[in-house]
Amino acid sequence: MSTGVAFTPVTDLARMIASKAISPVEVVRAQLERITALDGTLRAYLTVCDEAALAAARAAESALVAGRPAGPLHGVPIALKDLYDTAGVRTTGGSTILADRVPEADATVVRRLREAGAIVLGKLHMVEFAYGPEGLNAHHGSPRNPWDAVVERMPGGSSSGSGVAVAAGLAPAALGSDTGGSIRIPASLCGITGLKPTYGRVSRAGVLPLAWSMDHVGPMTRTAADAALLLRVMAGYDPADASTSVLPVPDYLGALSGDVKGLRVGLLRRFFLESATPEVRAAVETAARALEQAGAVVDEVALPAVAHVGAASYAVVASEALAYHTGWLKSRPGDYDPEVRTRLQLGAFITGAHYVRGQQVRALVRGEVDAALARRDVLLAPATPLTAPRLDERQTTLGDGPSDVRGALIRLTRPFNFSGHPACAVPCGFGTGGLPIGMQIIGRPFDEATVLRAADAYQRLTDWHSRRPVLA
Amino acid sequence: MDDVFDLDTLRGAARLAGFAWSDAELEALRPAIQASLRLLATLEAVPLGAVEPTTQYRIL
Repeated sequence: MSTGVAFTPVTDLARMIASKAISPVEVVRAQLERITALDGTLRAYLTVCDEAALAAARAAESALVAGRPAGPLHGVPIALKDLYDTAGVRTTGGSTILADRVPEADATVVRRLREAGAIVLGKLHMVEFAYGPEGLNAHHGSPRNPWDAVVERMPGGSSSGSGVAVAAGLAPAALGSDTGGSIRIPASLCGITGLKPTYGRVSRAGVLPLAWSMDHVGPMTRTAADAALLLRVMAGYDPADASTSVLPVPDYLGALSGDVKGLRVGLLRRFFLESATPEVRAAVETAARALEQAGAVVDEVALPAVAHVGAASYAVVASEALAYHTGWLKSRPGDYDPEVRTRLQLGAFITGAHYVRGQQVRALVRGEVDAALARRDVLLAPATPLTAPRLDERQTTLGDGPSDVRGALIRLTRPFNFSGHPACAVPCGFGTGGLPIGMQIIGRPFDEATVLRAADAYQRLTDWHSRRPVLA
Repeated sequence: MDDVFDLDTLRGAARLAGFAWSDAELEALRPAIQASLRLLATLEAVPLGAVEPTTQYRIL
């Protein structure tokens, strides 16, 4: 089918709409037609706001014709993981427990995006209550990874619909959330760009929690430049979220110089590249060389404490998740996906001492990442150690031995939820069967500008991010 | 060590946490609980000493 504007970057769409080269009504209508044509198979959306989106597009067009001031995302459609509150539109968290929940107000970031002119296309599929990295959902059916139309493969999660929608051209950009990798894992498996900002950079007010001290929200896009544009709108202090910082929000898009000369890059081989499959390891090593050839200074660095992140972050996430879900776990246990219910129940057997030990390890990990970044600008690692597994796959083999798929998917991303550092996943190749490979670029706290500059520079050197899945 | 995870112990731990799960539920959970506690036990081997736990998150 014709792709039309479906794969046009947000930065270009915004410019084209502002200059009246294209109508926001035309853009929204094209996206809705594509959703109608493809989403029956891909299952990226839980709710499509077709009438509201078209009405907003007509209003955006009228404003342009009248010459009224337009925001940086004027007329640009976006889609939201279904845990962002949307006034008057159900917000389910991918659950049946909240199937009929209709918030009265938008989440802070949704309000900011609308104020900047963005148009909400709909609400996207996700793992129930964001508790799982595979992208599976027993209630609503699992979204399909668009890169493999023959073998049904995992999209990655928990922001599964966000990854699928952006990769398949069913939305120019989407929002996800990331507690252990839930933005970067689907970005990696679906071949798109996904940014987990610094903890405290973007408000989570009005976003359903999984684990408060690990939850981050951020953009999922096709390019780093698009992520920069969205982050500028989303970021900043919010009195409704006590974790948000008062630090000023830079012009991330303006910081994308395309230049990495002198950029100090620490390549994480130990634990990270070591656990990746050979094709993932080769792709990330090649990416490091590409940055080096463009003028970056690459050396190797290790983070020994990340070996303990699995146990430590489990203590923290399972405890916080249980605290949030205790009421429903008592009153509506049968309404959970059995696998999610089991994960929540396990939290009851974690002690306060386990939680505190987890938080002690967290201090160690954060200190190590800070130390590594004291003499480097960014760190580089695979985002996931493997490409998209089959939907029914439970065990896999990584570079350092056998692993369950769930643990494998989350292994390389969660250290930076634990530490709170910003991390951006970008496509860096394709493996067996034409499946995307993703790497992540990690930066200093609140230095998303450098992370995005490195990601954007890499995307100017390569074309992995602009490849598209073949869809019927 | 497996004695720690008999049904009575699990029932007591669940009740302490506020849950009245049936024996059948606890029996089904038992392998996952054992795996979970083994994972958590690895934290005891980490030389944490007087490392102060994270209680605040870069509020700037």
